[in-house]
Amino acid sequence: MKIEPVVCTEIKTQHTSFVVDFQLKNNITFIAGDSGTGKSAVYSFLQELAVENKSIKCYNYLDIKKSYKNAIKLAKGKLFIIDNADILLDDAMRSYISMDGQNQYIIIGRNPTGLLLAQDDILELASETLDGRTRFTLVGTLPAV
Amino acid sequence: MITVYKKGTVPKTMELITINDIYFNQTTVLLLDNRAADIIGRIDGSVMTGQFTILSRFDGMALNIDKLSTGCKTALNILYNPHKVFDIRECGDNALDLIYALPEGNIYCDYPLISFDMNAVYVSDKKSVREIGSYEELKEWWQDED
Repeated sequence: MKIEPVVCTEIKTQHTSFVVDFQLKNNITFIAGDSGTGKSAVYSFLQELAVENKSIKCYNYLDIKKSYKNAIKLAKGKLFIIDNADILLDDAMRSYISMDGQNQYIIIGRNPTGLLLAQDDILELASETLDGRTRFTLVGTLPAV
Repeated sequence: MITVYKKGTVPKTMELITINDIYFNQTTVLLLDNRAADIIGRIDGSVMTGQFTILSRFDGMALNIDKLSTGCKTALNILYNPHKVFDIRECGDNALDLIYALPEGNIYCDYPLISFDMNAVYVSDKKSVREIGSYEELKEWWQDED
């Protein structure tokens, strides 16, 4: 289900030589793709950004025993960034997130089932290195026509 | 040839590992030998420079080996721990291709997750272990709840 982003339409941060430059067009941004493309590295850079930006909340496999599900359900106006989503998000949470118009999500995983996303909502990470700096952006998974 | 398990078929005598990052960081990392470098290169595009270090694919910087991708860690977990079963649900297609070509190991997923390049695998269900040699047949087995 398409909902306009409710928190932000872009997210940018820098971590040493790495730059993250994401344009967010949907309230749920699902990032999939091959292993080793930098998804979890980008998560760690965004986690650093969250230290000073209180509207960003990050969860990954280290939080599996914590009450992240309640935290999401009680939140308003937050951007949740979830890595290892295939482990952290069960069917009920996926259903909740798909209908949540109060918070925004960047979800990193393999399986988007239950999030009511269209194929063009599923993105991959692209990276380019110039002059020693690597810039991460989001690209679609559909072939260009 | 790897053995595939689906929901309800993992024997009680075998441990199912779901969080591959933790198992790799705590256990598998101590088992690595020269076979690991090839897998790390093929999945993550990184160079293994020691038991605990790799060179980043992005900028060539030296990193702790805990920075490998989850898919790469899963492949290494499977290769080095042939008596345990590993959940593959977080693996990207490149990691899946390599996992399905491993000489031995045990994998699990709730739903069909199959490499298009697969040749043959063993499947284990409540009745028996048998060999399956095609993508379609494996998918059908995985979706069959009996």
